[in-house]
Amino acid sequence: MATVVSGLTLGSLYAAMAVGLTIVYGVSHVFNFAHGHVAVLGAYVAWLVLGTGLGFGAGIVAGSAAAVAVMVVFGWGLYRLAIRRLLTRDGWQFATLLFTLGLAILMQYLLLQAFGPRVKSIPTFTDGSVLLWFGRVGIHQLIVLLLSVALIAAVGLFLQRTATGQAMRAVSLSVPGARIVGINVERIFAYTFAFAFAVTGLSGILLGSTVFMTPHIGWEWMIKGFIIITFGGLGRIQGAVVAAFFLGLVEAFVTLYAGSLWIWPAWLSLFVIALMVRPQGIMAGRAA
Amino acid sequence: MLEVTELRGGYGDLVVLHDLSLSVGKGEIVALLGPNGHGKSTLLKAISGVHPATGGSILLDGEQLRGLPAHEIVERGIAYISEERDLFTEMTVFENLVLGAYGPRGRPHLDRNLQRAYELFPRLADRRSQRCATLSGGEARMVAIARGLMSGAEVLLVDEPSIGLSPALKRTVYEAIRHINDDLGITVLLVEQELEYALDLAARVYVLKHGRVLFERSAAEIESTEVREAYF
Repeated sequence: MATVVSGLTLGSLYAAMAVGLTIVYGVSHVFNFAHGHVAVLGAYVAWLVLGTGLGFGAGIVAGSAAAVAVMVVFGWGLYRLAIRRLLTRDGWQFATLLFTLGLAILMQYLLLQAFGPRVKSIPTFTDGSVLLWFGRVGIHQLIVLLLSVALIAAVGLFLQRTATGQAMRAVSLSVPGARIVGINVERIFAYTFAFAFAVTGLSGILLGSTVFMTPHIGWEWMIKGFIIITFGGLGRIQGAVVAAFFLGLVEAFVTLYAGSLWIWPAWLSLFVIALMVRPQGIMAGRAA
Repeated sequence: MLEVTELRGGYGDLVVLHDLSLSVGKGEIVALLGPNGHGKSTLLKAISGVHPATGGSILLDGEQLRGLPAHEIVERGIAYISEERDLFTEMTVFENLVLGAYGPRGRPHLDRNLQRAYELFPRLADRRSQRCATLSGGEARMVAIARGLMSGAEVLLVDEPSIGLSPALKRTVYEAIRHINDDLGITVLLVEQELEYALDLAARVYVLKHGRVLFERSAAEIESTEVREAYF
């Protein structure tokens, strides 16, 4: 049961991280290879703020706010300065893939220059644990689970209830349709990058408090995000969330019974099997 | 009201519109006839900014529209309803209609225009929480027209609204367009392949061929033989 809780916690973290990737893909059809590094950057920004001598409580709030601010500017600027130009060309799919791949490598080395290669982490929120009916569970783990689920729920509410969120969904379903109802599609793309990067930065902080961060770990997170959103049906948020929880549980049980060396083989074999059996994703054919 | 002058446009190297000129008066219904691939749909896409023209001018009440992006043209009061409909198929009828009023022009009148849309097509009121992917072809066409009106448009550009529909549904759609024109005072520029329907609705007809206006007639004067000749 404790394994289930840690699996759900991992799943919620992966879901929060993958949601930004699937939103960007769903709306703009750009697959962002730098996605994992965006999450890591968010964690490093929070780590910097935490290091300024504010207490933990104030520091984590200020750090999260700073990460959101940096990510909004970064996402918006990246779209305006680079992605927008690439999208107007023939062969934009390949161009954006190569561009974000290059960006990921660049970000990795800039992070390495700025923070060095040593492993860092966001301090755990609290060290205590609580005795539930099945055993002891870390309070930190429960808080992370709660915050990740809250983050995903907030994203869902934003997309369902706000005019901008509705417009993002509209663009993801039909760009011509969005144009004829008067949506400024380019502006929605920019908002989408800003919004998804902010969410991803926050998920990076949660990840950084639970696992750890190095300048290189962005690749791992990106690949996990890629597997999750492919599993869930590209661009489908609910599918990605379900897939993330499933893979989080698998990871927890594999770690318990086979050891952490088997985590990647498990992820990748499930990925290959999923591609062979249901290449359209587990939720394809249902409502987005 | 709408004044198109020497409009040029096309797709890449393929020129479809050759200095096309026409005009639509306030409150009119004007129909565009002519063979497929001769510029009717391209003209509507150019006016709406969905596929911009490369030359010429498009004036709405004297104001230049050519060069404006599509969302600005919606704000000026022009709604385009494409032949493909371009609905948000995974959303409900209601969500599609609300998105029709996305811009600042439509948003303040959302409730009133929603009411109006349901009065125009009562069937949509019954289907309001249904996903558009599950609608019949006729219902999807109704959603497309109703969504176009949600922006508070004064000019409606409609591309073959009755294509692929049963005769009964065609009549429903045409009665709706007549109502939109008569009672709501909205100007309509319509592409229609079937002469009978076009003449029934429109006061004036332009026949296009090779991206130019071949001739223009009032519906009362037009001879079906001269239209038929245009197709060969």
